[in-house]
Amino acid sequence: MQKKKQDRQSTAKIFIRNLLHNPSAAIGLTIISIMILCAVFAVQISGVEPEYIDPINGRLGPSLDHLMGTDQLGRDMLSRVLSGGRQSIYVGVIASFLANLIGTVLGATAGYLGGKIDAVVMRVSELVMTFPQLILVLIFVSLLGQGINNVIIVFALTGWMTTFRLVRGEFFSLREEAFVEADRAFGFSKPRIIFRHILPNTMSPIVVAFTINIAIFIIAEAGLSFLGLGVPVTTPTWGNLLTAAQNPVVVDEYWWLWVFPAMSIAIFVLGVNFVGDGLRDVLDPRHKSLITKNKWKTMLVGRLGRKK
Amino acid sequence: MVSFIVRRIVILVPMAFTISALIFFASRLSPIDPINAMIPPDMASDSLNLAQLREELGLNDHIILQYFTWLKNIATGDFGYSLQSGQKISEILALRMPATLELVLSALILSTILALTLGLFAGAKKGGIADRLSRVLGVVGIAIPDFFIGLALLNVFAYRVSWLPSGNRVAPGQVTFWDRFPNYILPVATLTIAMLAVLIRYTRNSVLDTLNRDFVKTARSKGVPEWRVLYSHVFRNSLGPVMVLLAFRLPLLVGGSILVETVFQWPGIGTTIIAAVTASDYPVIMVVSMLIAMVILFASFLVDIVKSILDPRVRLGGGN
Repeated sequence: MQKKKQDRQSTAKIFIRNLLHNPSAAIGLTIISIMILCAVFAVQISGVEPEYIDPINGRLGPSLDHLMGTDQLGRDMLSRVLSGGRQSIYVGVIASFLANLIGTVLGATAGYLGGKIDAVVMRVSELVMTFPQLILVLIFVSLLGQGINNVIIVFALTGWMTTFRLVRGEFFSLREEAFVEADRAFGFSKPRIIFRHILPNTMSPIVVAFTINIAIFIIAEAGLSFLGLGVPVTTPTWGNLLTAAQNPVVVDEYWWLWVFPAMSIAIFVLGVNFVGDGLRDVLDPRHKSLITKNKWKTMLVGRLGRKK
Repeated sequence: MVSFIVRRIVILVPMAFTISALIFFASRLSPIDPINAMIPPDMASDSLNLAQLREELGLNDHIILQYFTWLKNIATGDFGYSLQSGQKISEILALRMPATLELVLSALILSTILALTLGLFAGAKKGGIADRLSRVLGVVGIAIPDFFIGLALLNVFAYRVSWLPSGNRVAPGQVTFWDRFPNYILPVATLTIAMLAVLIRYTRNSVLDTLNRDFVKTARSKGVPEWRVLYSHVFRNSLGPVMVLLAFRLPLLVGGSILVETVFQWPGIGTTIIAAVTASDYPVIMVVSMLIAMVILFASFLVDIVKSILDPRVRLGGGN
């Protein structure tokens, strides 16, 4: 038992070390951690509450007092953008977690049992993929009212299919393995075989799908909120801040009201994608990363070296 | 091959029915009286007539029966009336569909041409300009929300330098196509850039994969000129994944891109959907959802066919 625990710890250590040494993952993790810290300490960093209204100083451009300017009510944009990250990241992470949970449970069950159950779940996943997401959003909004949790529910219900297919595929091949054969011979229960013995072997596609879904959901939240169908306007999210750009005057003259929230989305999603890319690299050696090791070195030292 | 296609169609039909049932019953969950969807709004004012109309229109029938009537109406082209404007939905679609088709079709064609050329050059010369450009586009393009691209283009080209109009498809006094042409540039450019990112990633990866295959080495060692290797060996064989991605984008042709159309006030299906959703205009939402769902079904059918042509194992594997 003692030995087994040690082994597990060391594989975890190796994994973390590989991840930190992977250039994409390192860049991505740095970006994400900085942005999460900024979101948590939004008020301390900007020095103003996001809802503090100061109408005399409305619609000021970026300056030393207000690094990202102020909106029409004189609220500090830096504070709003940073704290907007809280809700957007929350929606992305929780929705992605739930979607992955649904996809994993269904994929594992369907993949292991096969047969009729598999066929039924497969048809359901095809149905969800075909069903227009917008009408689902609408049903939820009309039944439950607009709210951050409804957005999360809709994303979770419409976003589980990627994970489902990946996990199901893995289970199809794993269920023929010798260790599963042995489990069956021991008379272990099906749930125990599925979730305690096979599932740990399918963690890599699940983790990768988790990061990809976070990126997708954060962009989707921005889109829905921009259209006025997402999170209620009273909570500042990156998407809700962007609704200001529905007004042509804002697009024309007050660029700081929409450029900064949009850039935050882009940078955060970029970070998440880098982490996903790095994870794929570490977990699946066949995959080629977008930033190779040499590239990373060139970025840091190559330019200087080449000039001489 | 024929039996594979038949098998797919056999699956397709019950799917279509299930989706239509879901859309119908989901819309019945709404608090709005469906009678408003079936008659022009100016007739709805007379409450005495309403009870009679309700009977005549079959709203007192069993809900299952109502579903089949609705299905029959849709199938025969009778889409009902919009709650918002009282217009016939078929008229709204006829008016709005061309705008969406123009926008999406041009963006699809442009992005495909650009992605294929860039992807091919990128794969052919790793580390070259095309490769770097497509890598940056592939990474950054995916992270940027597409409406932000639209807003940025608007800010620069419509407001800062005012070379191009800020939206709308037709302005008063524009008669010929060339009068309207400037209106198309920004929306089409936005949608093209938005579609380009993923497509270019696919093409580049696919080209790089194909370059490593044995038949490319064989062709090279036989002394086939490099451009011919690239064109007739690599390019053709790397089209598969790209075609699949394109087929998945076909539903955009009827659904339009809601965000891009909203940014440019483009009078297409996308803005119709969003107006219907904000006004709870259920009949319009139901019809448009049906249309989109049917095109998605058709597209996934196409994908299966394309896959089975490219890789015979798909069709022999029992079709699951």
